[in-house]
Amino acid sequence: MPLAATLLDATIIFFLLTCLVATLWRGSLKHNYMAAALCAGGLALLFSAASGWHLQYTWQAAWPIFLAVAPLSNHIDALSSLFVALIALATISISFFSPGYLQHLEKKCNLRLYWVLVFFFIIGMVGVIVAANAITFLLFWEIVALASALLIASDLASNECKRAAFIYLGATRISTTLLIGAFLWLHALSGNWDFNTWNLSHHATVIPAAMIMVALCIKGGVWPFHSWLPYAHPAAPAPVSALMSGCMIKMSIYAIIRLLIMPGLSSPILIFALLVLGVISAFWGILYALMQNDLKCLLAYSSIENMGIILIGISLSLIANYYNMPLLAALALAGALFHTINHGLFKCLLFLAAGAIDVCAHTRNLERVGGLGKKMPGTMILFTIGTLAVCSLPPLNGFSSKWLIYQSLFRLACANQSLILSGVCFVSIGVLALVSGLALACFTKATGIIFLGRSRSSDSDHATECTPFMLAGQAIPAVACVGLGVSTPWILSKLQSICSLVYANAPSVEPLYTLRMDFVAFSLVFLVTILYVFWLNGRKSEIRSYSTWDCGAGHLSGRMQGTATSFADTFAMTFAPLLQYHLTSVIGGKDRRHFPESISVETAVTQLLETRFYGPIAKFFRWLGKCMQIMQAGSVHLYLSYILFTLVALMLAGLIVQR
Amino acid sequence: MIFDNILFAACTVLMPPLMIGVIRKTKARLQNRMGARFEQPFHDLLKLFKKHQTISKTTTWIFQLSSAMNISVMLIAACILPWLSFKPHFAGDDLFLLLYLFALLKYSTLLSAFDCGSPFGAMAASREAHVSLLLEPAIFVILVSLGFIAKSTSLGAIFDFSTSCTVYYLPVWLSAAVGLFLCSLAELSRMPVDDPNTHLELTMIHEAMILENSGKNLALIEYAHAIRLTVLYGLCVQCLLHALTFFTHAQHLVLDPTSLTVLSVAGPFAFAVLTALIESTLVKLQWRRVPEFIAYALTMSMFASASALIGGSYASHHL
Repeated sequence: MPLAATLLDATIIFFLLTCLVATLWRGSLKHNYMAAALCAGGLALLFSAASGWHLQYTWQAAWPIFLAVAPLSNHIDALSSLFVALIALATISISFFSPGYLQHLEKKCNLRLYWVLVFFFIIGMVGVIVAANAITFLLFWEIVALASALLIASDLASNECKRAAFIYLGATRISTTLLIGAFLWLHALSGNWDFNTWNLSHHATVIPAAMIMVALCIKGGVWPFHSWLPYAHPAAPAPVSALMSGCMIKMSIYAIIRLLIMPGLSSPILIFALLVLGVISAFWGILYALMQNDLKCLLAYSSIENMGIILIGISLSLIANYYNMPLLAALALAGALFHTINHGLFKCLLFLAAGAIDVCAHTRNLERVGGLGKKMPGTMILFTIGTLAVCSLPPLNGFSSKWLIYQSLFRLACANQSLILSGVCFVSIGVLALVSGLALACFTKATGIIFLGRSRSSDSDHATECTPFMLAGQAIPAVACVGLGVSTPWILSKLQSICSLVYANAPSVEPLYTLRMDFVAFSLVFLVTILYVFWLNGRKSEIRSYSTWDCGAGHLSGRMQGTATSFADTFAMTFAPLLQYHLTSVIGGKDRRHFPESISVETAVTQLLETRFYGPIAKFFRWLGKCMQIMQAGSVHLYLSYILFTLVALMLAGLIVQR
Repeated sequence: MIFDNILFAACTVLMPPLMIGVIRKTKARLQNRMGARFEQPFHDLLKLFKKHQTISKTTTWIFQLSSAMNISVMLIAACILPWLSFKPHFAGDDLFLLLYLFALLKYSTLLSAFDCGSPFGAMAASREAHVSLLLEPAIFVILVSLGFIAKSTSLGAIFDFSTSCTVYYLPVWLSAAVGLFLCSLAELSRMPVDDPNTHLELTMIHEAMILENSGKNLALIEYAHAIRLTVLYGLCVQCLLHALTFFTHAQHLVLDPTSLTVLSVAGPFAFAVLTALIESTLVKLQWRRVPEFIAYALTMSMFASASALIGGSYASHHL
């Protein structure tokens, strides 16, 4: 048994034992010990991913463990190693971050249960990644779903969390049902539960493939199935949101590659649908993100955007494969995978920073924070790195991966396959440009409102910097973001082994990466440092500190600043029909034009999809439930007659079948 | 070759303030004023470079870093953007890199506007972000259409003069030039979108964002803005010159390098005069009508992309 597999097994067993000890332990639970266990497990996972990169190894659990119809079977290769590495990095980050953060949650949640669930959550995710057959996959898929649902509901006192957990559970149930249906169907076709024996290139497999696709889109928060995500992410504690957004929704990207691309999905309708869903998700997610005033909600919507971008990459890869362009297929796949990793890292960083702001400033409402940059300088720097990466600005990692996706779109447009395909590529480039403009607005708003200017409430007045360990937890993904940005050629050479795993004889994509990001980064840092340190700050005596220009009106208060809502208003006006944006302002007073005594402004954004699409569906089911109530009259005679009728009906059915 | 490099460096340093001078002078003459001399912006910048800075107490390190970032990004962008025909070639001069470098510049400018905690800064930041958001698709699609002709995203390859423009791609170059010019007017906060001469905080976009900057800090930002003006107009000129190669080619008069050099240096100044004309004859649009103006740029970009696609399919059929 190779080292990678041993380490994986050992980590899972170690996590299970830790859970057991944590449950049975009588005294109070020390967060530091649990975090140390988590960190050790994360490091082991990281080593296992590093050593499993060049392997292709399948192993089965020993005798007593058997899942009714199939063995508990695992498989490790470069693709699973990549995702295990992502989970490992996120795990290590949250292990540093958690102890400091959890001190603030002592009264709200049952932290013993919290730790046990976090361990199960990670076990589940690793299990999904290394599952080699459908039954193992489903087992761990359900562990992930249940553990994350319970974690969302950690703070049971709040109605928000209950509602979020309920909606999330509903979404995961639909997703799992579809998956089970599709797996049974594929088992019936192939007679085997192992993923590597499935083949989706046949016409008969279009419907199960579509079912798998929808199931994974639901779990990945892709438009129009994203509704659960903006509820679930903000409700969960920060480390859990980081894991959910950084790793859990990436499970569906992994599964799309493992369950759809590798078995050779080639239905043009499904591939095109994936592209359309990706484009719409990217736009829809970031548009709503810009409107949010809750920092975690904003980040949650931005996750939808990034899932869209990843899906664009994946569908491009499939399109290129369909038209038999192996180089382009490999390029787009590498772009999608790279963006998956990047999004996992910077979203983990941003969610942890949001958690730090939440506990240090006691609010994450953008209307109540402000000027935190001077109180939390470390968090500010790390958050800024995160926003630079999420806006995909050079020289950070987000830019490199987005560049690969742009490049694949461009090359596909130039491939002269058909005019329509080129046109679609041009439109997608245009939409992606719009999306990056919106992302820039969204994250300058977040950074500017939270850290710059003056404080907007007494909450953020008294904020202090979080503990060094919490900062370290955010610094790990931040360093990874910067490192990956300047070492893209190295990453591409590593991703090559995945590309050749997915598409046989994939050509090398590394030569296509013509950017010199190391050079750009170096010259940028060099110039900025010279100018900033020596030119602008060379002589401190030449700098006079003074108050901001106040038009001579006197002291500027915290409320005399731009707010998150006013920043977003300009955009909301343009996209008002889509956002259902309404602004009502009432100015009161005797001479209300010149000397208003009271001003009130109210804005409203409606979730179009929820009110127009999911609302009616929910209403229909409620109506159906009301109708069914007639059957439940509370009379024993009626119930007995139901039983009689059912028996008779079944007997008749049996007779008909026998004939 | 060495002469080209020196000329390029000189143009990068000297042309931007001179362009501002030309715009101001032309505007003054159109208003029957004598106006300041062409080289006045140099004196203004030198004066600002010598002055001490006054910085708001509210600000953090972002404020000063932003002006350093502005000028650094613009210098790198000027190196990779082929805004002069004789620009030396740099490896990795990718069009997506360029556009995201501009985004990086915008990111730091927007944050510095927030940093002072002034209501004007935040309002202007919102407007600037909105304008650039609407412009982004137009600029992306125009440059990608040009890249489609060269089948490459390297700016050096796209704006290379080694082949002349064919009839299939003539509309692309022309509409790209017009589209880019409209985009630059909005991007640079020039007249129909923003009036650089008013000093009413409530209506300005660019000026309101840099309201708190002073001394060296302001000089760096002003200089970066002038470079941005020059390179964007230079890009429009290059598009027009490429369209021109079609006509000269038809009469077997291929443009020689010397005339190309002269035209690409003189071209931006012609655009500066055009800007002054526009600013003297047009009025500033109401803020809510700015998207309508940008829609023209977007239409040009769609026209460029459609003609690139159709021209491309014709070209492949006929060859």
